[in-house]
Amino acid sequence: MVSSTVKTKSLCAAGVFLTAALVVVSLFVGKYPLSIRELLDGNELQWRVFLTLRASRTLVGVIGGFALGTAGFVYQTVFHNPLASPDIIGVSSGASAGAAAGILFLSGATAVTVSSFAGALLAVVIVLGLSSLDRNGKKGTIVLAGIAVHSLAQTALMCLKMTADPERQLASIEYWIMGSLSGISSYSIAGNILLCILCLGVLFPLHRQIILLSGEEGETRMLGVSVGKLRLFVLLTATLAVSAVVSLTGLISFVGLLAPHGARLMTKNNRPGTMLLGGLLGSCLLTGADILARSAAAAELPVSIFTSLLGAPFLIILIIRRKSI
Amino acid sequence: MNFFAASNITAGYGRKTIVNNLSFSMDSGCLLGILGANGSGKTTLLKAVCGILPHTGSCTLDGKILEKLSPRQLARHCSYIPQRSGISIDISVLDVVLMGCNPRLGLLERPTAAMKAEGRRALALVGLKDSEEKNYQTLSEGQKQLCILARTLCCQSRLLLLDEPESALDFHFRYRMLDILRNWLSDDRRAAIVTLHDPSLALNYCDILLLLSDGSVLGSLCPKEDSLEKMETMLQQIYGKISLAGFISRSGRKHLVMLNEETKQETDE
Repeated sequence: MVSSTVKTKSLCAAGVFLTAALVVVSLFVGKYPLSIRELLDGNELQWRVFLTLRASRTLVGVIGGFALGTAGFVYQTVFHNPLASPDIIGVSSGASAGAAAGILFLSGATAVTVSSFAGALLAVVIVLGLSSLDRNGKKGTIVLAGIAVHSLAQTALMCLKMTADPERQLASIEYWIMGSLSGISSYSIAGNILLCILCLGVLFPLHRQIILLSGEEGETRMLGVSVGKLRLFVLLTATLAVSAVVSLTGLISFVGLLAPHGARLMTKNNRPGTMLLGGLLGSCLLTGADILARSAAAAELPVSIFTSLLGAPFLIILIIRRKSI
Repeated sequence: MNFFAASNITAGYGRKTIVNNLSFSMDSGCLLGILGANGSGKTTLLKAVCGILPHTGSCTLDGKILEKLSPRQLARHCSYIPQRSGISIDISVLDVVLMGCNPRLGLLERPTAAMKAEGRRALALVGLKDSEEKNYQTLSEGQKQLCILARTLCCQSRLLLLDEPESALDFHFRYRMLDILRNWLSDDRRAAIVTLHDPSLALNYCDILLLLSDGSVLGSLCPKEDSLEKMETMLQQIYGKISLAGFISRSGRKHLVMLNEETKQETDE
């Protein structure tokens, strides 16, 4: 019998290999074809496309997908809820409202990124502020506060859409909400990518504490955990990572939900390797979906179409396989 | 001075008071059993003692006031086994047991090899030696309870609080769990409080029995010292018409058994 540690390591290695393969494909697939020969010959235009557009887009696909997958693992574990995702505390809605405000009142892609990040962050701050009113810091309070903020953000988004110019601004808002990596260039990603890496660098060493949070509150407290404080810190860190991603890409559905599930169903445990595998699956899903989004049709399609198309059958297959084991 | 003392504990849920101004104390090495009907406040009392429920009054363990301790300090002194653990994720049995080492670990530290060996010893002690790699979710409720007991033994605390630990266990493991508990108490600087549904178990294993009714103490019993008549009278206030009988098993061990004396007609009424 293969031990679970060996199995998890093998799966992680396969995840790294698949991610690397998708990175190579992502670097060379797109409207403007790149060739290795031309790059080696020093073609300036090819290098400019490679560095400013393709490499940064691929980097966001890999790091962003990894962050979404890891954050999903954290949310599902902390909330004991297999359906938990960043939406549960209103971060996606906040980002959408922020992006809509940016599209209406500011100009330029960077401004939209900044305003959507501000919207996501504002949603998190309000949720944490509301939940801190409950001195016991119960996780149910965080979820309820998230639902309230989600509704408020949706209302704000509707109001912004009402005032948008239907020809240009409304279409931009809708396209942003559908999610895409098309507007990404090397000029706009540095801060977000660094924030993602920082948050991931905090979350992985805290894996053991995250697992402790999966128990009942009283039981976890009796294991020496300051449940309220730790849960707030872990959720804030995961949410910051998600905010940094969605403010660049727009809403990406399914990755944060599917990737950790896929990892758990394959390893059947919640060890650090499973969290890593969840991140790697997130990278594969987002990068793979982005490759399809830019190559499946003449016009670029929203990436969420493909994350859902890739994700749903994958999840169903894994669930069926699990039942038979 | 008593090893553990609870003074004027009042606790409840929301505005509803369940345990009202309750006090008791015990010496080290003592196993204190709490008996009472459903809803008498047994679980509420345990949760108040370990600080899970907000309460008034105070608990003192070896001179330290438990309410003043941080969760980390509290976990080093006091462990709690709930009626049913809330672990709902896929996790190995050994990983569950190693959670008990958390009070001794820094925030980012991982369990050492010595702690893992300690966890395996605890698993062997509760009879789950070959289950360390198994998924905790695949264990029976009784095995889960034994796994949580092993985790608690790894906490190395000095006061154990157990909430109906026997409820999911079969005949054999009920006695095994209480034997493990008695053995754990052989170290002089330890004590345990246990709520039990089975009065016969409580009478045979506990040094002191605290009888609860409607959140107040009806009285206390020392099964090794008190007469059968006194114990019968006290226990009848909780369980109705009962009688106690003493038996000596073939191994020579003395056992007390509580028998129901209510007739069918009385029960129907």
